[in-house]
Amino acid sequence: MSGVTLSNIKKAFGPVEVIHDVNISIEQGEFVVFVGPSGCGKSTLLRMIAGLEETTSGVIDIEGQDVTHQEAARRGVSMVFQSYALYPHLTVFDNMAFSLQIARRPKDEIRAKVEEAARILQLDQHLDRKPSQLSGGQRQRVAIGRAIVRQPKVFLFDEPLSNLDAELRVQMRMEISRLHNQIGATMIYVTHDQVEAMTLADKIVVLKSGVVQQIGSPLDLYDNPDNQFVAGFIGSPKMNFLTGTVAKSNSGASDTVNIRLDEPPNSIVSLTLSGPVPKVGTAVTLGIRPENVETGDVTDADGHAAELTLKTEFTEELGGVSYVHSLTESGARVTIERRSDRNHIAQDHISALLPTRHLFLFDADGARLR
Amino acid sequence: MGRISPSNILLLIFTLIAACAWAFPLYWAIVTSLKPEPEVVGSLSFWPQTFDISSYAFALFDTNLVRWYINSIGTSVLITGIVIMISMMCGYALSQLVFPGRRVLFLVVLASFMVPSQALVVSQFVLMHKFGMVNTWGGIILPQVIIPVVVIVYKQFFDSVPRELREAAKLDGCGEFQILFKLYLPLNWGITAALSIITFIMSWNNFLWPFLVTTSEEMMTVTVGITQVGDSFGVQYARDMAVAVMAAMPVAVAYLVFQRRVTQAIMLSSGIKG
Repeated sequence: MSGVTLSNIKKAFGPVEVIHDVNISIEQGEFVVFVGPSGCGKSTLLRMIAGLEETTSGVIDIEGQDVTHQEAARRGVSMVFQSYALYPHLTVFDNMAFSLQIARRPKDEIRAKVEEAARILQLDQHLDRKPSQLSGGQRQRVAIGRAIVRQPKVFLFDEPLSNLDAELRVQMRMEISRLHNQIGATMIYVTHDQVEAMTLADKIVVLKSGVVQQIGSPLDLYDNPDNQFVAGFIGSPKMNFLTGTVAKSNSGASDTVNIRLDEPPNSIVSLTLSGPVPKVGTAVTLGIRPENVETGDVTDADGHAAELTLKTEFTEELGGVSYVHSLTESGARVTIERRSDRNHIAQDHISALLPTRHLFLFDADGARLR
Repeated sequence: MGRISPSNILLLIFTLIAACAWAFPLYWAIVTSLKPEPEVVGSLSFWPQTFDISSYAFALFDTNLVRWYINSIGTSVLITGIVIMISMMCGYALSQLVFPGRRVLFLVVLASFMVPSQALVVSQFVLMHKFGMVNTWGGIILPQVIIPVVVIVYKQFFDSVPRELREAAKLDGCGEFQILFKLYLPLNWGITAALSIITFIMSWNNFLWPFLVTTSEEMMTVTVGITQVGDSFGVQYARDMAVAVMAAMPVAVAYLVFQRRVTQAIMLSSGIKG
């Protein structure tokens, strides 16, 4: 059953359109994360689903009901805000009970629901406190509790962890994930942190400038990005990009292209494509993830890999993993991830190999060439 | 303990002299009210040779002071309540609601702030007369219930409430009145208390309008009523002072009890956000 469906959604502030024809289908019980850089429209889209922003055109459907022009309180959604938005003059209990009190529910029912939510979120001991007497993580839990007691059809989270420190963020991430498993409601979560997106989501929606770039499972987006933006946005550290030109193109049974990288000594790499082959002379970009760059005593096993000489700029050594930030001879940045063999990463110059099986090819507009 | 510098000592002496100069008329009024009338006119003494409270007895039992108190308390309480309610709702609308003409309305409120009340008394009196409200509480109250500065202060404070709180309340099912009374008002109790106190004091102290709109002694407020205390034998200083002291008493008590709030309200209404 469909949880939330957005059809041809547009949003304009005056003459400026910020959300362009968005179509998303979210299954009931699914955990969907909207991710993208600041200003991409992800929060606006969430606020439109919540009913806090008017929808310029298109249809928002929640569990089969068109709610596009319905007021926020009648949509069956609850929202957890980035700033928690707890009512500072009310106790934790009253914060969580507020919506039920407004709806004039019986006192016994209110108490039972609040206590149940408090138990799930381990807030039983803090029900008489004011928000100012709580830590950041506890406040966030109260905000989630406030959402739970309403028993909404859809939970909306607007960057709920961005005010927390790193350790608490990891802990709360796990708690939200556990909560989703426990209550099984549809959840839509907005973040600019792609690690949060990857770890929490059943499905990720990547947005850029109000346009959906790609929708898919986290590993789908990681392994098979549709364009250079998604390839660069998903993954940490981000994918390395090197520019080049199509040197030779064989359109036929094999559909192979030879790409000459803009790197001395003009390394040529040969790729096999399944789709249309770009013309000779076309500018292209090659992408490779940091963990796939090979270093050390490497040999061009398949005969198609590009070889680069890299100059080490600095190294981040995190113990189990190291990131070597380096520059090619033409000045392009290349990050290398190493999980073993720390010796050679201390060198000033590294020989690196880019195996073709790990290369992604993008045209000048950033679209993926497969 | 640090040494007090000579400049601080000078400053202290200066402020003490200024405080004494300011407080002397109050002291003189109280002392005079406690002297018998012959002593008031017969000698210049800073302390009563004989304590006499007959002036207070006169003020309480031989004048309409109790009635004036009731009028003052009644009208001031009603004015305060109505001013706070109207201004709070108007400030909320100007701060939080989106409607055509909001900006123009705000400018009108600002502009009305610049019109002195004295400029309006003639037309207000004609209006009250036509409404048949001369010599009624309604006539005293109605022209005093619009205080633009209170609207502006409320708007300022409501502007500073985080937008997410309002949105959370909306999602929780609150209408605009519930958002105002269950969220914005409790979050701004401090300023509401300050504005209430200063509005009460202002309306208690108001002389010009109640003086114009009441001709019957029964309907006068304290400030107007004390001008009626006279005697066929001429001025009776001790009695006049006793009535004046009793008239000022509630305001003085309010100042003393709510000193901090009153200061805050005065700072706010003169444009310094405290």
